[in-house]
Amino acid sequence: MSKLKSIALWAYVVAIMFPFFFLLLLSLSSDWRYPALLPEYFGLKNWVQVVGTESGLAYSFFISLVISLSVAVTATLSGFFISRYVSYHKKKGLLTMLTYFPYILAPVVFGACLSYYFLRIGIFGTTAGVIIAQFIIAFPYALIFFSSFWNEKIKNYENLVSTLGGNRWTTFTKVLLPMAKGLMMVCFFQTFLISWFEYGLTSIIGVGKVQTLTIKVFLFIKEANFYYGAMSCCLLIIPPVVLIYINKRFVFNKLI
Amino acid sequence: MFLEIENINKSFGDESVVIDLNVSLEQHKTLSILGKSGCGKTTMLKIIAGLVVPDSGSLSLDGRSMLEVEPAKRNIVYLYQEDLLFPHLNVFENIAFGLRIKKIGNVIVKSQVEEMIANLELEGQADKMPHQLSGGQRQRVSFGRAIITNPSLLLLDEPFGSLDAGTRKNMQGLFRRLAEKFSITSLFVTHDLKEAILMGDEIAMMESGNLKVYKDKMAFVEDSNTGVKEELTFWKEMMG
Repeated sequence: MSKLKSIALWAYVVAIMFPFFFLLLLSLSSDWRYPALLPEYFGLKNWVQVVGTESGLAYSFFISLVISLSVAVTATLSGFFISRYVSYHKKKGLLTMLTYFPYILAPVVFGACLSYYFLRIGIFGTTAGVIIAQFIIAFPYALIFFSSFWNEKIKNYENLVSTLGGNRWTTFTKVLLPMAKGLMMVCFFQTFLISWFEYGLTSIIGVGKVQTLTIKVFLFIKEANFYYGAMSCCLLIIPPVVLIYINKRFVFNKLI
Repeated sequence: MFLEIENINKSFGDESVVIDLNVSLEQHKTLSILGKSGCGKTTMLKIIAGLVVPDSGSLSLDGRSMLEVEPAKRNIVYLYQEDLLFPHLNVFENIAFGLRIKKIGNVIVKSQVEEMIANLELEGQADKMPHQLSGGQRQRVSFGRAIITNPSLLLLDEPFGSLDAGTRKNMQGLFRRLAEKFSITSLFVTHDLKEAILMGDEIAMMESGNLKVYKDKMAFVEDSNTGVKEELTFWKEMMG
């Protein structure tokens, strides 16, 4: 029975890991045509080209990091502070309902709606434009995420600090932010992922001028360049894996 | 009088929660207030602490009008039923919190907190985190955190409400000792009849937003509304 369990477990692990392994294999290959069992070339050629500028992948990786970090940091911080205002507001229900508005439309349709305004203010096809557009998607998520944090107990904490002689700054820096640290890390992680894998909105607002890694993956797949596609997928996986490790190491273990 | 409250009223919409509140209290005395849930006692305490703004009336502490003073500068500490210990700080730092806010030097903080820990009978617990403490220990830390700031007035909102009977009895004794040692002036709100009688130098009862302060404990016992007579009759009948 235990042997069967062990086999089932290994089969499960292999099924999960195989796509990642295959992506890595593809990224190291070229000229692999049917019916050849193995690729004609197997080595670091594709990866060396990443270091160079031929494919633009290194730049895409860098610009994706800049965009996602900007979106995650601003959405997490502003979401934390503004969700407090929303949660304690008399019209909390209405404000919360409005928070869901960006998710009613498909990202592509939402992007098309935004494009007029972005054109008018001159940020269409720019990195700043993509950051703002993605922020508009990530910020409501952060608002909804933090809404569960603000409750009667937290309000009591705030009042307690106040009667102990603390001002607003003390309340946030010494009590609320340390108490919300774990949640903030998780929110940062989630909003980073929202931005990192965003395609529809980025392709419309970026109009091909802002080529994030996710956009690149789709371009390579459209061009039937599987090797570069696989390589960009490998690059695409690295930051989320790092974030998952950080979250597991420093956040989830403490939350649980 | 040290604490003077005159004609304070508070309504939420059409509902009057505190009606014509009048209280006088000498320094270093405890006024215990008996009241059922929803009678307006928490709102009353929050008004005194500055957390709720009254519709009318006046409030002075040691001759100084308080209604215009923000909560952080009143030197009135409001303790909730829940201990509300900061989960990211250990026992030492929880107790030291008020002193740290006032930017008091480390040496003084250390000696005062260590003394307070001894007074709270929490020796050896300084490095523990709140989740490692029992309910009674948590409530002690909460007391220590408030008392160490030397508040002019301490407001206690059913502080032992969530404790079991044995721990509650110990905590009542501890509070009496601390109140005497640190010369605390306090309002002690409870819904427990016996606790109200035990804890207060003076006693009052709140009902539907109206506070009635008794001239002494006998007057409280004699009043049929307080429920003391009913309780006595019950026990007499039980004893046969």
